[in-house]
This record gives sequence, structure tokens and C-alpha cells, in this order.
Amino acid sequence: MIDDDSPSLVRLEVRLGHLLVTGVIASATLLATGLGLWLSGSHTTAAAWLLNAGLIALMATPILRVFVSFAEYVAMKQWFFVGVTVLVLLELTVTVVVALSRH
Amino acid sequence: MASGAIAGCLGALLGLGGGVFLVPFLNAWFGLDFKTAAAISLVTVIATSSAVSAGTAGRNLINLRLGMLLEVASAAGGVAAGITVSHLSDITLERGFAAVAALIAVLMLTRLERRNVIADTTVDPGPLGGRFHDEESGCDVVYRVRRLPVALGASFLAGNISAAFGIGGGILKVPVLTAWCGVPMRVSAATSSLMIGVTAVASVPIQYANGYINPPLAAAAVLGVLVGSRAGLWFGARARAKWLKLLMALVLVLVSIIYLRRTL
Repeated sequence: MIDDDSPSLVRLEVRLGHLLVTGVIASATLLATGLGLWLSGSHTTAAAWLLNAGLIALMATPILRVFVSFAEYVAMKQWFFVGVTVLVLLELTVTVVVALSRH
Repeated sequence: MASGAIAGCLGALLGLGGGVFLVPFLNAWFGLDFKTAAAISLVTVIATSSAVSAGTAGRNLINLRLGMLLEVASAAGGVAAGITVSHLSDITLERGFAAVAALIAVLMLTRLERRNVIADTTVDPGPLGGRFHDEESGCDVVYRVRRLPVALGASFLAGNISAAFGIGGGILKVPVLTAWCGVPMRVSAATSSLMIGVTAVASVPIQYANGYINPPLAAAAVLGVLVGSRAGLWFGARARAKWLKLLMALVLVLVSIIYLRRTL
């Protein structure tokens, strides 16, 4: 079983790796620019916006990672793991809903 | 602000994502209240997870199936603690942190000499096990996952502790996976690094909405950790793992004592 789908799992791993690199670079760029502006004391609205965008990008990266895994498991027709990723996504939805309701 | 970055570097330099060092630094030294310190530390855990996993992806070290399955438990633990943590007092959390720091120190000391040896490479890995190329022995290694309920339970607990105290939780999961569930050390570490991102995200948005996360400080800490984890990799490859662990255990015992004194 493992040997048959090992290549597609490795492909998934590589794909998730690219996604994580993109997420880290995007959020680090936003946070660094935002922090620079904030420290300079000017453009405070822009700084706050960039800092929050950076934090949201950072939080979105692992969530996107679960989404990509979900799509890949659907493509691989591995229904047990499709179910597992759906459960994780549901849990993350609970968090986001609770967070939005407290905002 | 610069202190946030220094704390990030220092924590990552010592490995583990550094939450367990970043929290006392921000809380006891820098004067932030405990929940704020833990929330900022948890944000850096997400960054560490993504950055470290991006580096290990593609080497077949991350067990995506096992990781995803355990994430169900660790994310549930994270959500549960994320919702309840705002109702707990800082004193309770600080006492809990003292206990966790002491526990981690003990775990670290008992694992000073530990190495994982996999003898038989012809076993069938089963639905959750895997195969990877071990650089130390130079051959392919196969492993099976045993005692899945134990791994799930440990992940739930790790999720709770992660959200409440701002640490990654890998230090609790990795020993359980290697000691009782048959997962090799390097696979446990890589899989756990991937998992802690989702575990942290299961509670960080709630803490963000509760106002525990100060964006500029969080940004400084995240950038510090990202730089520090690079430095940590360089340093970690050159330092003796045993002495590093010993040093960390001593620091943790100290942290634990400081917190106990504060809360008594």
C-alpha cells in the first residue's frame, strides 16, 4: 500500500514545502515592512495594516496547508485521510468563528 | 522591541522553537502579562513550524498521514485551551508553566543519551508507517506506528499545553512517539514540527481576537525567531547535542524555580 502511493505522497510533501516557503516569505516581508514603518513613527495606519496583514498571512499558511492536503487526498481517492483533513478543517473553522465572534 | 528579536534568536538558537524560553523572557524579564507573552510566543511557533517544515519537506521525513491524524487531536486540544485560557488567572497559568518547564527539563535529562535504532528493515510499514533514507546508517529504514491511541492522547495534551503556555508541544509529543509508538527520532521531530503550526493556529486567532497579541512586538519576535532558527541550525550542527540539552535543562529548572517563587 505504501509503495504504491509513495511517489504521490512525496509530491504532496514537496508541494506543501513550496506553499510553506511562500507563506513564510510573504508574512516575513509584510511584518518587516510594517515593523520598519512602525519604528520610524510615520505612516502609522499603513504600519498597523501591514503588521496585521503579516500576522494573518502567518496564520493562514498552516490552514492553507491543510486545504492543499485535503485536495490532494481527494485526488488520490484516500477517503479516510479526506475525512481526517475535513475534521482538522472543521476544528480550525470553530477557532476562526469563535475569534470573529469575540472581535 | 529589540529584546523581542533577541529573545526570538536566543530561543531558536537553543532549538525547540524556543517558546519555553521566549515566554519567561517576555513575561518575567520584559514585564508583559503571562497571556500576552504566551500568545506572542505561540505566533512565533507558527513561523518556526512553517520555516522548519519548508526545509525538511521532500525528504520523506515528515509522516504526512500520521501527522494529519494526530493533528485532529492536537488541534482539538488547542481549540479547547484557546477558548478556556482567557478564563484562567495568570497565577494559575504561571504555576502550570513552572510544572511544564520542570517536566520538560526532566524529559530532556532522561533523553541525553537516547538514539533510535531500527534493526529490521524488511517489516511491512502498515498503513501509517513509512520508509525514509537514513543518512547516518546510509540505508533505507522502515518503521511501523504502534499504540496509536497513546499518540492521539499525547497530541491532545500537547495541544492543550501549547495553547495555554505558548510552547510548540513537540517536546512532549516527540518523546512519546519515539519511546512508545515506534516512530524514529528524525521522523517524530519533522512530523511534530509540521504539526505544531496547525496546533498553534487552532488557538492563536482566538488570542488575537482577545487582544493578547501586540502586532509590533509579535512581528519583532517572529522576525527574530526566523533569523535565529537559521543561526540555530548552523550552531546546532557544530555543538555537542548532549551539552546543549544539559544547558537547556538547567535553564528550564531555573525558569521553573523562578516561576514557583513568583507564585508562592
